[in-house]
Amino acid sequence: MSAVPKALIADDEPLLRQELALRLGDVWPELNIVAQARNGREAIAQFEALRPDVCFLDVRMPGISGVEVARHIGSRAHLVFVTAYDSYAVEAFAQGAVDYLVKPILRERLSETVTRLRSRLTRSQPAAAPESLLQQLATYLQAQPTRGPLRWLRASTGASLRMIPMESVDFLRSDEKYTTVGWRDENGAATEALIRTPLKDLIEQLDPEQFVQSHRSVVVALRAIRCVLKGDNETATIKLIGRDDVLPVSRRHIHHFRQM
Amino acid sequence: MYTALANAAPERGWRLLIGWRRLRVTLLTAIVLGLLLLPIWRSDTPTLFLRIGGAALFAMLVFGLFEQWPKRLPAWFARWALQVAGVAIAVPAAFFLFYWLSTEPGHPPFWQVQDRLGGFAILGVTGLLLAPWVALTALVRQKEAIARHQALTFELERSELSRQASDARLRLLQAQVEPHFLFNTLANVRALVESGSPQAPVVLDSLIAYLRAAVPRLQQHTTTFQDEINLVRAYLELMQMRMPDRLRYTIRTEPEVLAVDCPPMTLMTLVENAIRHGIDPSEEGGLVEVDLRVEGHRYVATVRDNGIGIHESGSACGTGLLSLQERLQLAYGKSASLQLCENLPHGVTARVWLPAHRESA
Repeated sequence: MSAVPKALIADDEPLLRQELALRLGDVWPELNIVAQARNGREAIAQFEALRPDVCFLDVRMPGISGVEVARHIGSRAHLVFVTAYDSYAVEAFAQGAVDYLVKPILRERLSETVTRLRSRLTRSQPAAAPESLLQQLATYLQAQPTRGPLRWLRASTGASLRMIPMESVDFLRSDEKYTTVGWRDENGAATEALIRTPLKDLIEQLDPEQFVQSHRSVVVALRAIRCVLKGDNETATIKLIGRDDVLPVSRRHIHHFRQM
Repeated sequence: MYTALANAAPERGWRLLIGWRRLRVTLLTAIVLGLLLLPIWRSDTPTLFLRIGGAALFAMLVFGLFEQWPKRLPAWFARWALQVAGVAIAVPAAFFLFYWLSTEPGHPPFWQVQDRLGGFAILGVTGLLLAPWVALTALVRQKEAIARHQALTFELERSELSRQASDARLRLLQAQVEPHFLFNTLANVRALVESGSPQAPVVLDSLIAYLRAAVPRLQQHTTTFQDEINLVRAYLELMQMRMPDRLRYTIRTEPEVLAVDCPPMTLMTLVENAIRHGIDPSEEGGLVEVDLRVEGHRYVATVRDNGIGIHESGSACGTGLLSLQERLQLAYGKSASLQLCENLPHGVTARVWLPAHRESA
């Protein structure tokens, strides 16, 4: 190993990069900080160009996250994850037996980490962070904020794209390749819009407490129903509050609309 | 939800059959009819009222009987028709019965006595003409009452549900003081302090302003746009310290909007959303434009960014926006609204309209 160890710092916040560099200068004077990256993409490029021995990786960065950078580097450098307070990530790091620092970084904590890194640098090859941990963190980062039922529909109305909150959607009706969305605009007026997503792909993302399928090609919002009129042969029709559309209820779905 | 429909029907059984209101209407009708017939009545007055009253009560019972029995009718036969027909037959039948029973033994049947036949004819014909109309009126009014009752029950349930939901969301929001934001910001402040930067006290002031405005905020029901602008400015200053190379912002306001009341966190939610989902995930960052103005009879708050925009998935953003929409609805009803549009080539424009005059929700 070369006499002077090289380091890379990746963090999207410049003040935090500078501060870490400054502190490392105090506790590890012989460390040569060869690169400071502003995001995951730069971190990977600089790693490939300069091959540092130690990488300090912020977990949350725009574009490519620190977790993905770690995966890319594998066992080619000693890794230290840096994260702001985040109970989930901190717990995962603690259990995953990898080096990590919590922002704001405390001096003693940094010294401990540096001591560990120094002894590792002289004694052993770097070990890649366990894939299970990376996987777990990557899923966590992607899932922010919590995944739940669909909240907005992206629809084209005329020339512009609109975000329609599911709260103002009265019904969805399949129209061959498209789906017609019956909704209320911000003035409460009944409007329709087209979206490209087929109804069958939407159904599984809907909140089942609010939306009920009434027919192979129709989903209706319970709050929009004015009344359900019984028809022949175990079918029915739905009339909506404040709009003229009449929606069909098929035999297969009529059980949703029976009185409880 | 559907249980409400089932419960909306009035009571059944005996209570329905001889309900107080029904009894009152029946007897009143009988008395009025009696008074009208009094001038041409040849016999004694009590008999007249007893007969009319008796027939009316009998018709009422028949009306009530067919209302509940038989339980099921063939689809082509409407229950109201059965009830009206029942009443139409019941009234002359009752008079016939009264005359027949009041004939003393040994006397000829009443239809052979000129006077008695005349009395029966008058009572029977007026009863036959009047009774079905009374029954029809009763049916129409009943239908209206049920519809009103249902509408009220629905409305009640809906408002109750929405209140519960928003209370829950509010509590949720209050509990969320973003630790990630706070600690990251503190780390930055410390870096400034450590390097002896003259910027340190300025940034610390922004943090204090942000915390002061953000913490007790949701307990209040309203703030002014001025408060919101102060909060948003403090927040944007902090974020710009953290990502100076990626965040630019402008704030434009028309002075007459600043004193206007708005629900807490209205503007802040839009700005936070723009940073969190537009600027922060973008390598290049971008521009956030805040704009407050009067437009006709409404106030418009616009937050436009040119960040990465909204993901295809659609579920990636919105807890904050949804709860804002809910709070707006609670405070202003339909006269306030929130709209989200995509910008070209990328980014989002979020707009909130508030009525210039607060209407009761």
